[in-house]
Amino acid sequence: MRTLSMLLISIISLPLVFIRKNSIIQTTMMYIVMVFAILLVFIYAPNEQMQGIVQKIFYFHVSSSVTAFSAFFLVFIASIMYLWKHAEWWDAVALSAAEIGVVFCTLVLITGPIWARPIWGTWWSWDPTLTLTLVLWLIYVAYLMLRMDAHDPKRARFAAVLGIIGYVDIPLILWSVEKWRTLHPKPVLIQEGGTTGLPLTMLLTFAICLVAFMLLFFYLLRERVSIIQSQHAIEVLRHQVDDIPTE
Amino acid sequence: MSGSKIFLQQVLALLAKDLKTEWRTREIFTTMFVFTVLVVVVFNFAIGADTELIRQVASGVIWIALSFASVLGLQRTGQMESEEDSLQGVLLALHDRSALFIAKMLAHMVYLLVVGLCTLPLCGIWFHINFIACIGELGIIFILGILGLSIVGTLFAMITLHTRAREVMLPMLFLPVSVPLTIASVYATSQLIAGRTLRDIADYLSLIGVFDIVFFTLVLLVFDHIVED
Amino acid sequence: MVYLNGVIKHFGTITALRGIDLELKRGCCLGIFGPNGAGKTTLLRILATLARPSAGTVRIAGYDAVQEAEKVRPLLGVLSHRTFLYGHLTAYENLQFYGRMFGLKKLSERITEVLQVVDLVTHGHQLVRTYSRGMQQRLAIARAILHYPKLLILDEPYTSLDKHAVNRLHDLIICLHAESCTIIMSTHDLHRGLDVCDEIAIQCRGKIVYRGLSLGTDIQEFEQLYSAYVR
Repeated sequence: MRTLSMLLISIISLPLVFIRKNSIIQTTMMYIVMVFAILLVFIYAPNEQMQGIVQKIFYFHVSSSVTAFSAFFLVFIASIMYLWKHAEWWDAVALSAAEIGVVFCTLVLITGPIWARPIWGTWWSWDPTLTLTLVLWLIYVAYLMLRMDAHDPKRARFAAVLGIIGYVDIPLILWSVEKWRTLHPKPVLIQEGGTTGLPLTMLLTFAICLVAFMLLFFYLLRERVSIIQSQHAIEVLRHQVDDIPTE
Repeated sequence: MSGSKIFLQQVLALLAKDLKTEWRTREIFTTMFVFTVLVVVVFNFAIGADTELIRQVASGVIWIALSFASVLGLQRTGQMESEEDSLQGVLLALHDRSALFIAKMLAHMVYLLVVGLCTLPLCGIWFHINFIACIGELGIIFILGILGLSIVGTLFAMITLHTRAREVMLPMLFLPVSVPLTIASVYATSQLIAGRTLRDIADYLSLIGVFDIVFFTLVLLVFDHIVED
Repeated sequence: MVYLNGVIKHFGTITALRGIDLELKRGCCLGIFGPNGAGKTTLLRILATLARPSAGTVRIAGYDAVQEAEKVRPLLGVLSHRTFLYGHLTAYENLQFYGRMFGLKKLSERITEVLQVVDLVTHGHQLVRTYSRGMQQRLAIARAILHYPKLLILDEPYTSLDKHAVNRLHDLIICLHAESCTIIMSTHDLHRGLDVCDEIAIQCRGKIVYRGLSLGTDIQEFEQLYSAYVR
């Protein structure tokens, strides 16, 4: 259920990638939503009875998680498009989405233990989703390492293949990790921030927080893609300059 | 239909070439086998003298050893094709490029199966496990699991062929992606050792099967993009 | 036989070929000369279907070399600086492998035949890694012509060949030329190039800057021509 809704969010937000430039209006709107979200989290949303104020991490933890998954979905789609159309823009999108995705993924892996420690007494619980996040982190860090080595189109194609494989692996990893989990004793049975059974105020806060994170993601994506394209343009110019025959 | 006849012929020619070279040098097999045994022995020391504990983790130890040995074997295979750029020569002769992938994958499967076959009796003796009782079912898991390792491994071996840090990149790519396979194989094996039947491990079996099918199809679709320039 | 139109090749931000137009009739022997970095190897790799052009058309024997590459490959024989051979197999086994890949009939006779052409029959059952460099290159020649190619692509074939091998290759090219095999060769050796080729071309910075007949051009003339164009 949760994975399905994450996939849905990833697909719905996909068209946003086609907006190529960050206009002032969009940037201002994003900042407003972000500030609004923080206000909501700390002032509007009520404190949860059992967990206390620590529970507020949930808004950032799950939002980061959804954003990371959307990022990896974008890597998947951009990789397919790159292999199909050979357009460099898609490759730039894939790389940027992977970089930002890894950042959000790291946030999930950091906020998870910070949340878990006061609540469950342990830093890490091998919860299926968290474990999946860890494995994905490894895969996409490997993706970045693969790309850092060389910058030619062949390497970009290898990375695209990895981008596709990494995402297709997700249901398989999730399935296997959930099976594996059933073999290990569970810790205290508090839900890891399921969105069912949440009061409306919390649900609303979470929704705004999620929108803020997604806006941030696409903002960063556009900036990163335009940096990559500028770097490319500089390289092309440099080669043209080198080619001018010296008298 | 002559297309598939050529395809089969080329796969067999490539496979024969790889196996013949390996038979001459026995480099890959020796490396993989010795390494597997080493891993098993060292794990044994690390876990301690508790026979019950060792029996429980035996399955995990075997599959970890096979995964790591797989990485080593793949690196040697890659090296073989880099000398004299023989890969380019093969590409010139190929009708359908996926024949190369299938041949390499089958060759790697053969190496892993032989290594597994040689290591299993040793593990039976050292871990006091009776593999013979479930040898048929175990065989199925091993073949399917090793098939999965070979598919993913061969793909990443070809990808990392010309990367600078090949020794690091190959395991970094191979191990996380094959996590579902490792988990399913390890637990299927340990269930079989504990006396369960195939029906009991049906879900692990289907996971391995799905993994194999999905990745095999995926690799065939994208293989052309990997070998092209 | 060979037709290239507007072939462009980018490697990321580097443009190796900037629009190559080339036509070769069947049975013609073309020598391509040019400085390092001119894109000669890239051009030959595209012809050999080892690389795809970023833009432009490549047709070989009427087939599109990109879309119908698998029809084109059996017609090509490629010789490069790397030998494409397997050190742990014998010469015979190497050729057997390639023969099987190309689906050749009467393989053993053909293998003996090509080994005779390159003068390696006595060493036929020795491991290739025991060969000298020159012997390995001779075997590579045998590998290239094993499947009766209609188009021979040679990328600087005279490099690292000993005197004996150079003469053998020279004779072989003349022989194949006589049998209407189309040949494209890139080389730094102006003398031999002029000797064996019908037509010559000069490639510089990704473009063909000169194309002409070699008949009647003597070596000094050509050297002047070359210096003039490669500026």
